[in-house]
Amino acid sequence: MSTDHGAAVPPAGPHPRGAAEPVLAISDFSVVYRTPDGDVQAVNRVNLELYPGQVVGLVGESGSGKSTLAYGACRLLRAPALITNGNVRYRGRRSVAPMEILHVHADDLRRLRWREIAIVFQSAMNALNPVLNVRDQLVDVIHAHLRVSRQEARDKAGSLLEMVGIPRSRLRSYPHELSGGMRQRVMIAMALATEPEVVIMDEPTTALDVVVQRDILSQIVELKESLGFSILFITHDLSLLLELADRIAVMYAGQLLEFGTAREIQHEPAHPYTRGLLNSFPSLRGARRELAGIPGSPPDLHDPPSGCPFLPRCGYATQACADIDMRLLPVASSPDPAHVTACPFVLPGTPAPPGPAGSPAATSTGS
Amino acid sequence: MSSNGIPGPPPDGDVASVAAERGPLAMEAISLGKDFRLGRGAILHAVRDVSFNLYRGAATALVGESGSGKSTVARLLAGQERLTSGSVRLDGQPVDVSRSRAFRQYKSKVQLVFQDPFSSLNPVHTVSYHLERPVKLRQDKHSRQEVSQETAALLEQVRLTPPGQFLPKFPHELSGGQRQRVSFARALAARPEVLLADEPVSMLDVSIRLEMLSLLDDLRRRFRLALLYITHDIASARYFADEVLVMYAGQIVERGPAEEVTQHPAHPYTQLLVASAPDPDNLGSGLHAGSGAERRAENTGPAATGCPFSTRCPLADDRCRRDNPALQRVSATRAAACWRLDAAAPDVLAEPQGGGL
Repeated sequence: MSTDHGAAVPPAGPHPRGAAEPVLAISDFSVVYRTPDGDVQAVNRVNLELYPGQVVGLVGESGSGKSTLAYGACRLLRAPALITNGNVRYRGRRSVAPMEILHVHADDLRRLRWREIAIVFQSAMNALNPVLNVRDQLVDVIHAHLRVSRQEARDKAGSLLEMVGIPRSRLRSYPHELSGGMRQRVMIAMALATEPEVVIMDEPTTALDVVVQRDILSQIVELKESLGFSILFITHDLSLLLELADRIAVMYAGQLLEFGTAREIQHEPAHPYTRGLLNSFPSLRGARRELAGIPGSPPDLHDPPSGCPFLPRCGYATQACADIDMRLLPVASSPDPAHVTACPFVLPGTPAPPGPAGSPAATSTGS
Repeated sequence: MSSNGIPGPPPDGDVASVAAERGPLAMEAISLGKDFRLGRGAILHAVRDVSFNLYRGAATALVGESGSGKSTVARLLAGQERLTSGSVRLDGQPVDVSRSRAFRQYKSKVQLVFQDPFSSLNPVHTVSYHLERPVKLRQDKHSRQEVSQETAALLEQVRLTPPGQFLPKFPHELSGGQRQRVSFARALAARPEVLLADEPVSMLDVSIRLEMLSLLDDLRRRFRLALLYITHDIASARYFADEVLVMYAGQIVERGPAEEVTQHPAHPYTQLLVASAPDPDNLGSGLHAGSGAERRAENTGPAATGCPFSTRCPLADDRCRRDNPALQRVSATRAAACWRLDAAAPDVLAEPQGGGL
């Protein structure tokens, strides 16, 4: 891929904090959905930074606000969604000055989208136009954002397909002639058409089989390493992120509850919710463990509880939890100041108390 | 492989099912086959010669990728699709879909839970409507008091309490997990012996899935249901099933006790499936080191002749491409359909043979 903008090629791999400017910095970001019954606080004062070359995973249940956060940061949300607070600063290698995404003019925003920040949407079946063949859809994207001739755009469409592992001969195929995995690859090719610096991937492999999923993910990692973009990877599957991401942000009820490296999240999870999530996956390898899951369900964001939103489901909850300020603070026992948690009471390794008042979903399977 | 479908000896004659230890035989699938006509004379063999038994109180997992035919098997067992070949027996009796009364009885004994709780409940009806109908039809209860007692009890069984709060609600007022609980309750309302659960949790949030699977596990025990758990998630099958059947391209390619199949897979496809599951203990390394190029396999569909997996199998030789292997006994409780088991799973073959049946 050509980098004819004179920018230095960044070193591959994750940057430690402070070694570079973040390419995308979301700060104090809030989104509400205006409804007749009042506001739904979908995203609540979220801070998230993505450094060049990094894969940041954003994990949460449906309704946790993870997609709203990502789309909101690109100003892709429409009414009734309303951004009520915050800043999103984009600083690319190609752009001269940092850009405040929430304040730029519509023309600049148009240049920013796709050219600098591209999105792979969740459901490839619905995201592709069923009546256009793959080539025409790729050419559309290329023409919309790059000044190239028709022939150049067609050539580029072919090389993009090859890049994601689909033979050039499939250019004339329509979406229904492709398997789910191939459609998702086309979406990825489309996102990479303009060599963006940030790619937001919203559950790109959720509908796919595990074998295909692994295949596509390893290809995404390869492409990331050769092209040098950064990824914000949104998923509900924490076990996937542990393998894929450099850093993982855990989101719940519109707030970030924990942010740390994949290793920290796996081995020293600080927040009780993170621990619950880790305990929700039946493991295929190793000894059979007692699976706990997380009893209960997320709070109603029409009427969010005060204090910690995880309180009703939390096994560690105390009276103080109803009053705490949900601020991310460094984990006291961690040597890494960037490992932050919203729970000031529970340290990694604190033994789990006996289940909460409700019935714990503990299961002794197979007996 | 026997394909004549003669009723009589259990179809899994050569290996014993671990599920049989749980309870008596409930349902037999005998050499099930289902073809779909695709037009222009093309025929899709969606299910080919699939045989297994379901036992009361036991969970059997049917694992496979999308398009492997696992849902078609459930639909065949539920009587929603006509068999192209083979037969289904319930409590030793052959199932006759042509006689409506007998078939209605059969349908109340064999219930199906679908994947998508958003589309399997009628949006214009309340929870109580969804439950009252099967109670009236299948349990033959008609007095208002009996019906309302029974519907409340059903909701309590699926832990939607207090029932009074949920009965008047419409599906859109419930979360995905609550809707799926209503689906479970609706299935239980018919007092089934056999529950066919087709990906019952894959549409739900991860933090809820485990709770739902535990509920299903609990219902299986409490009502001695013969449970067929259809899933693409082989890790959940390890925890929630007694026996695992792995399907590929319409055929069962491996079967055996859940723990053994997931820990020591014998068939190359099962091995691929297990290797592809996310592995949290493999931080970063696996994906970063993996070169996707050689493993790109989805473009090659199942083979038309020979072993269906031969197009993707690293061990495939001429014989695999020519002849389709039958399920063969690997140990007393395990079987796999592979010509190259000696190369694919020497450790599994080396295990003591358990002394037969």
